[in-house]
Amino acid sequence: MSAATAIKFTTPRTSPDTPRTTPRPTRFRVVATRAQRHARPRVFYAVVTMSVIFGIIVAQLLLSVAVSSGAYEISGLQAQNRELIRTHQSISQDLDRLASPQNLAANAEALGMVNNNTPVYLRLSDGAVLGSPEAASVGAGVIGGGTLVSNSLLKNVPLVTTTAATAATAATAAAASQAGAGASVPTPVVATGPVPLQNGLPGMSTH
Amino acid sequence: MNTKQTRRRTVVSMLLIVVFVALFMVKLVDIQIVQASAFNEESLGKRSIPATIYSERGKIVDANGIILADSVMRYNVTISPKNTKDFLRVTDRADVTITPQQAAVEIGNITGQKPEEILKIVADALAANPLSDFAYVVKGVDVDKFRALNALGIPWLYSEPSPGRSYPNGSVAGNLLGYVGQDGLAQAGIELTSNECLAGVNGEENYQRGADGVRIPGSTVTSVQSQDGSSIKLTIDSDLQWFTQQVLAKQVDATGAKWGTVVVQEVKTGKLLAVADYPTVDPNNVGGTAEANRGSLAFMAPFEPGSTIKALTAASLLDAGLAEPNSQVLAPYSIEFPNGAKVHDASMHGVLQLTLTGVLEQSSNVGITQLGEVLSAEKRYDYLSKFGFGATTAVGFQAESTGILHPWQEWDNQTYYNTMFGQGLATTAIQVASAYQALGNHGVRLPVQLVEGCVAPDGTLTPTKLPAPTQVVSDAAATTTVNMLENFVTKGWISKYISIPGYRIAAKTGTAEQSAGDGTYSNSYIVSNAALIPANDPQYVVTVTIASPASNGSMASPPVLKAVMAQVLKKYRVEPSPDGAPDLPIRF
Repeated sequence: MSAATAIKFTTPRTSPDTPRTTPRPTRFRVVATRAQRHARPRVFYAVVTMSVIFGIIVAQLLLSVAVSSGAYEISGLQAQNRELIRTHQSISQDLDRLASPQNLAANAEALGMVNNNTPVYLRLSDGAVLGSPEAASVGAGVIGGGTLVSNSLLKNVPLVTTTAATAATAATAAAASQAGAGASVPTPVVATGPVPLQNGLPGMSTH
Repeated sequence: MNTKQTRRRTVVSMLLIVVFVALFMVKLVDIQIVQASAFNEESLGKRSIPATIYSERGKIVDANGIILADSVMRYNVTISPKNTKDFLRVTDRADVTITPQQAAVEIGNITGQKPEEILKIVADALAANPLSDFAYVVKGVDVDKFRALNALGIPWLYSEPSPGRSYPNGSVAGNLLGYVGQDGLAQAGIELTSNECLAGVNGEENYQRGADGVRIPGSTVTSVQSQDGSSIKLTIDSDLQWFTQQVLAKQVDATGAKWGTVVVQEVKTGKLLAVADYPTVDPNNVGGTAEANRGSLAFMAPFEPGSTIKALTAASLLDAGLAEPNSQVLAPYSIEFPNGAKVHDASMHGVLQLTLTGVLEQSSNVGITQLGEVLSAEKRYDYLSKFGFGATTAVGFQAESTGILHPWQEWDNQTYYNTMFGQGLATTAIQVASAYQALGNHGVRLPVQLVEGCVAPDGTLTPTKLPAPTQVVSDAAATTTVNMLENFVTKGWISKYISIPGYRIAAKTGTAEQSAGDGTYSNSYIVSNAALIPANDPQYVVTVTIASPASNGSMASPPVLKAVMAQVLKKYRVEPSPDGAPDLPIRF
């Protein structure tokens, strides 16, 4: 603004026709340099500086808001991750203990499967029977009187037969209550004995 | 006068100011420079929270990669006794006040404790210190229980993570695996002996968090990187291991025996496929088993093996060229040797005209001692050492026994003869299996292997270092001995108990008197069997040992032997033997 006012330091121009009572004053004035004349007003710079500073402040604020809300997101995701790891652990532990040989054998035997101590092989290439076949007896199971290979993880795990029986009882009870209400519901069929084979053992049709 | 006073006042004030400023300067320097680092540390300590990054202890897996021991995260449930008061629970219907008694019932329902026990923990902690802020309710609960406890929303109930160990298969191979204590330190078995491979390194980190407990981004400093442990791979097959344990346990119980072991070893590799002991510890519940039964008796319990050693004496004689399967001997029921030693057979009989094969088939002590005497005590001792007796196996199991094999110079007149039929020396079940492995493997005894190796987290396996194999007897001597043992199965009393149609089996039984601990023999026996299957090309050694059966005597172990052999043949798809057993004369 000083540059703008500087130019106004000129004395008013006097008409040459005016009689000269006093000697003519020297006609000097301050002339702006070329750079000064081309320079932009200083207000402009102030505005730019201020707005940049303001912009930086706002950007920083926004960034920090973003980072902190990111922190909450990270924290939330980490908590979720922790929970999922726990679920995974819980489920894989269930799977591992159900896959333990004690449990599989006890269930197999509860379903009526037995162990044959006389191995025999059928060679598919020529249909030859290797070994001397001998039928397994009904009591040939290994578990018999109960598993003797303890596993404290299996304490509250019921056998499939017990679960099926419970389910059957529940189904029958439900059916009975519905029948009492007047609806006719067919009695659910629950396999109790060995499943009969149709068309013999399944096998490959080609040699 | 006036000006003087003023000047003095000025001087005093100036001095005071200088002194105070100097004092402040000293303090400033002290705080900012001298004690700066200590204060910085303290302030950081107040702002930052240290945390442990738990590393995972390596798994123990069987030969097929089935997990036998796994690391799990468990939780210690803790309580703040001074804050154990009523609290308000917000439910859908209304806010309910829960008393500590009610809360204790809820906690107890999950942890299996009685409410009184929980309240007693609180009372005890408060009695010791009225401002007590910490006490354990229960240690090591699993995830499911931990979640259920969390869901209760009890404000004075806390938890801390505590890495634990789970054995999904229970006591399957529990005798071998050992166990890890509550503190996460290995205490027994492979867990202990292979701890260097299994153990991980816990990491440490510090972070800062806001008032709401959220971690401040970029504030985490990891000072120690956590490192997971490597896994141990065993040579054991968990299914076979289970089968042998079950069959053995059933028979030990049925015969009223004290204990029993079953060993299955691969002949061509020396790898142990199953080592069953009964009783066996369930590593999930170590307290449920007596301390003496928490290890593996097959490795740790030496016993006088008895007649199973006769096969080794015969192999030594064949190897030394001092006998052949048809070597003849007259075997009465008892005999007195010139040095005064007396030897007799198990049951009364007349004079039998036996070949060496017949001596094994009849299991004649009198026969084997007469034939074996031609081999010097020193030579016999050397053979027994090479068969692996008197030294631990390459497994190096925790507290493994060397058995007892006195140097031949220390043998007295009776021991000089007794060692030929397996008395006067003690062996472990593993040592017997290893000696028979040599017979099945053309006379070469391979180092016994239980641990396949250490598997790094990136999957690379570092195999267990093994000593060199030993040629104990010649191929011919070993094979001939197997043929002789086969004649025992086809012609001896055991035939109907262990024969499996279609397969050739070589086996020897032993019914050994046991030391009473005072230099005499007690009236209890250890019955054992050692077998090689299939005899035409031995692939597997099976040994069964049952200690002090109350009933059945020698008949106690053969049913187990047969069941295990059949299972091994099925499991490994062993083809039935193409031709019959060689027929060696047993009498002359």
